[in-house]
Amino acid sequence: MSNQQTIKRITEIIINELKLEDVTAETFNVDLDLVDEVGIDSMDLATIALVLRDEYGIRIDEDDYPKLTTVRIIAAYIDDKINQGE
Amino acid sequence: MVTEQTPAYKFSEIIAEPAIRERWEKVRRWFFLRESTYDMTNRCNIRCEGCYYFTGEKQFAEENSDPDAWGRLMAAEKERGITFAVLAGAEPSLVPELCAICHRIIPLGAIASNGLKVLPRSIDYQIHISVWGNDRTSQAIRKAPDMLQRQIANYRDDPRAIFVYTFTPDNIDEAREITETVADHRCKLTFNMFSAPIGYQGQLRHTSQSLARTRTMMAELLRDFPETVLFSPYSIVAHTDSHGLHALFSCSYPRQNPSTAIGLGRSFRQYRTNLQWDRSAACCVPDTDCDDCRHYAAGSAVVTARMYRHATDPQTFAAWLDYVDTYLAVWVRGYAKGENLCSSLVNPPANH
Repeated sequence: MSNQQTIKRITEIIINELKLEDVTAETFNVDLDLVDEVGIDSMDLATIALVLRDEYGIRIDEDDYPKLTTVRIIAAYIDDKINQGE
Repeated sequence: MVTEQTPAYKFSEIIAEPAIRERWEKVRRWFFLRESTYDMTNRCNIRCEGCYYFTGEKQFAEENSDPDAWGRLMAAEKERGITFAVLAGAEPSLVPELCAICHRIIPLGAIASNGLKVLPRSIDYQIHISVWGNDRTSQAIRKAPDMLQRQIANYRDDPRAIFVYTFTPDNIDEAREITETVADHRCKLTFNMFSAPIGYQGQLRHTSQSLARTRTMMAELLRDFPETVLFSPYSIVAHTDSHGLHALFSCSYPRQNPSTAIGLGRSFRQYRTNLQWDRSAACCVPDTDCDDCRHYAAGSAVVTARMYRHATDPQTFAAWLDYVDTYLAVWVRGYAKGENLCSSLVNPPANH
């Protein structure tokens, strides 16, 4: 189970980086598929990964991008990395 | 928290430098580009040694020249998110009416042509005109006389035209005279590397010596013709390394990338002249030997896709930005290349 703070912060970052309008961290559905339903592409995801790297001090493998399909999954990924002491 | 596996620089620190931030904001506006490529006809008006089109099965695909079928295909491509069309094999200028349909439906794109037949100005795609050496060399390899002279006569003062000089081991020393000629006619030129088709047994495959000589020549021409040559120091590094692009950056085209989740593996298709495509063969230059691929079109996508690994320090990220700025200037109509930010030959990051 991911930390709610992590989920909220990731949501804020995605909204900010993608310049999503008419949505807030509180109203964003964190189970939306970011590719199919939000429309992000690989370069968007790479940009978000860099911002997350700054925020959490973790490295996100490029090979892991395909797995990072929702905010909730990204949050779990980050929490795992932090718990593993990376 | 910063660990030993994260770089010394935060991304926010890297893009805090004004010149880097400006270039980053400039190139990221084009991240919406999603390409696919289309073989337009199985005919060509010349026959070049080592031509990628006349290798493998795609040359035998039935030619569909029905404008309505092309219109339906391009509308479907647009619908699934394709924003950039690359019209290639064998020679698109032989079917201008089909190129016009593609341009009408997907307004951004590029056409790979030998430049011997002029495409109407109304087809406002970038036009990449292939040059393989001086006219004597072209006569020998492409069996066509006076190629550069005819290409320039057709495309001088045409803002769509980008001359693409393909380096082979045999034409390195000719690059200067070609660049001078192109510069004299106020045209633009970029560089490509001969990349052997699968099974190729000819003499044009690069060696470690020819790669080193090409690197030196590219650097000299970039220095001496900055207004003509669209290239960057990092482009030189990426395309003349002893390792090919796949070994350096893990090619992200479907042929080498099984994932359909995101990026090129999800969206890219390479259509043959029968308007069919085959995922197992899909890349920008099908039937190229992936171990030998240093193709400019491949690098434009493959190096660009590896942004994350280049965001380690300001110099490496600036080198990547130069590469992306170069590729956009080569491929996108109206995009103006900026001055290169990084003048050194930065090593590519490790390929994890």
